[in-house]
Amino acid sequence: MIQFDQVSKRYPGSDQILRNVSFSINAGEFVYITGHSGAGKSTLLKLIAATELPTSGTVLIAHQNVSKLKPSAIPFLRRRFGLIFQDHKLLYDRNCFENVILPLRINGVSEQEAAKRVRAALDKVGLLNKEKVMPITLSGGEQQRLAIARAVVSRPSILLADEPTGNLDASYAAEIMAIFQAFHQVGVTVIMSTHDALGMSVDQNRVLHLDHGELTENPFMQKTLNLNTAPTGSFSS
Amino acid sequence: MSTWLNHHLQAIKLVLSRMNANLLSTFMICLVIAVAMCLPSLFYLGVDNLSKLTNHMKSETEISLFLKLDVTSDNIAKIDSILAKNIAISQYHLVTKDDAWQQLQAKSKDNQNISSAIEQLGKNPLPDAFFIQAKSTDPETLETLRNTLQSIPGVEQAVLNADWAKRLATLLSIGKKLIFFITALLAIVLLVIIGNTVRMQILSQKDEIQVSYLIGATNSFIRMPFLYAGVFYGLLGGLLSVLMITGIIQTFNYSVMEISNLYSSDFSLNLLNIDLYLTIIGLAITIGWVGSYLAVTRAIGAIKIS
Repeated sequence: MIQFDQVSKRYPGSDQILRNVSFSINAGEFVYITGHSGAGKSTLLKLIAATELPTSGTVLIAHQNVSKLKPSAIPFLRRRFGLIFQDHKLLYDRNCFENVILPLRINGVSEQEAAKRVRAALDKVGLLNKEKVMPITLSGGEQQRLAIARAVVSRPSILLADEPTGNLDASYAAEIMAIFQAFHQVGVTVIMSTHDALGMSVDQNRVLHLDHGELTENPFMQKTLNLNTAPTGSFSS
Repeated sequence: MSTWLNHHLQAIKLVLSRMNANLLSTFMICLVIAVAMCLPSLFYLGVDNLSKLTNHMKSETEISLFLKLDVTSDNIAKIDSILAKNIAISQYHLVTKDDAWQQLQAKSKDNQNISSAIEQLGKNPLPDAFFIQAKSTDPETLETLRNTLQSIPGVEQAVLNADWAKRLATLLSIGKKLIFFITALLAIVLLVIIGNTVRMQILSQKDEIQVSYLIGATNSFIRMPFLYAGVFYGLLGGLLSVLMITGIIQTFNYSVMEISNLYSSDFSLNLLNIDLYLTIIGLAITIGWVGSYLAVTRAIGAIKIS
């Protein structure tokens, strides 16, 4: 479903963010992307969502080469994804209902059908009673759940979450993780970046570990490598 | 199809609610459009009514056809039949030399000097004459008609009283050119004003636009509400402008009717100039659309990059 082949990304005037990254993700997988901050996790997600294009290599989404898509086709590619950001990217000038309905408006869903779906999505994240509330009055965890409702309301087959629990304390984070697990269970592909070790506790999930833009699929091996080399080096310098 | 329709309905709803939320600024921009449309329209109305006035004064653009003194009544009948066949002539009448002589004497009865001068003449020096009204008031057409009439045998002289008509026509054509340039200049001003207003709206909606792009909005989806905003500004501005023009004409009409009563004419300014009104509204809508299209295309490019 998602295939990276020798993908590199470099922003103008910066070091290489990603180096020769190759992997593929099948439908229905739950994949963590881990790594230190600045390792290229966000960039990797942006490449999947086609908000960035690779400097070299190919990104295939559903057998389509993202680099070769016409600009007019990219919005339709993006509608396959539900995007969740660390900073929520909610719109604070409108209530929860209006926030969640936005993707359906973009898809041109009729107002009645949209209202039903919005309530269903709000129900899934436990915010059905906050429909008319302005997002600014919600707690951090609730805001993130609202963002998840917005991401899933158009029923995407892939959820991309960029450090969704990054700003939350442990109990809120566990809530959010449970929601993602629930979506995974009904067949949604979930790709989530995280900089903490939270994901490690779930052994059956796959982990893509990024280290300075390079990919290692086995985080435990990487960890042992780091134990041997990295800490002493970083502390002494 | 229903997706397309939903997009449009949503955009219209969104724009109307935004306008409703900013009633004062919406009114202001509409007022600017209305005033800007009003100025050339009033000027146009002035010129247009002046040219209509020239039609009202048809008698002023008549051609006097003086016949030769030795012309016979057979000849007069012949000329009469030629005039009757000429399609450029709307009507004409003959004043014989005797009629003219009597008229002159009757008119100068009160004036001692002239009547004594006429008496001294002894015999009638006046020629027979046709007074002709042309269908057209266009100076060039009148000139050709005059030349045709001049070449009829038995005609001494064809005189065209068209000097003032010519001058007026020239003035009117200058006026029409002026209207064109004023309209063009004001259209540019409106483009800039509407473009700027829409640009400010886009900036205030920057977050929404960015999020929309991230979740798969197309350019046309982003553009649509702003295009509708431009169109609605144009429509409301155009309607307001029509209202203002009607009001202004109405106030003018009182004085115009007073004046034309003095000249025993039923001339008044036309209140229902549908063509003009449709043009104003159509032009305002077009300007609104183009202005917001230019603004939104530029702004979207900038937002996408950032």
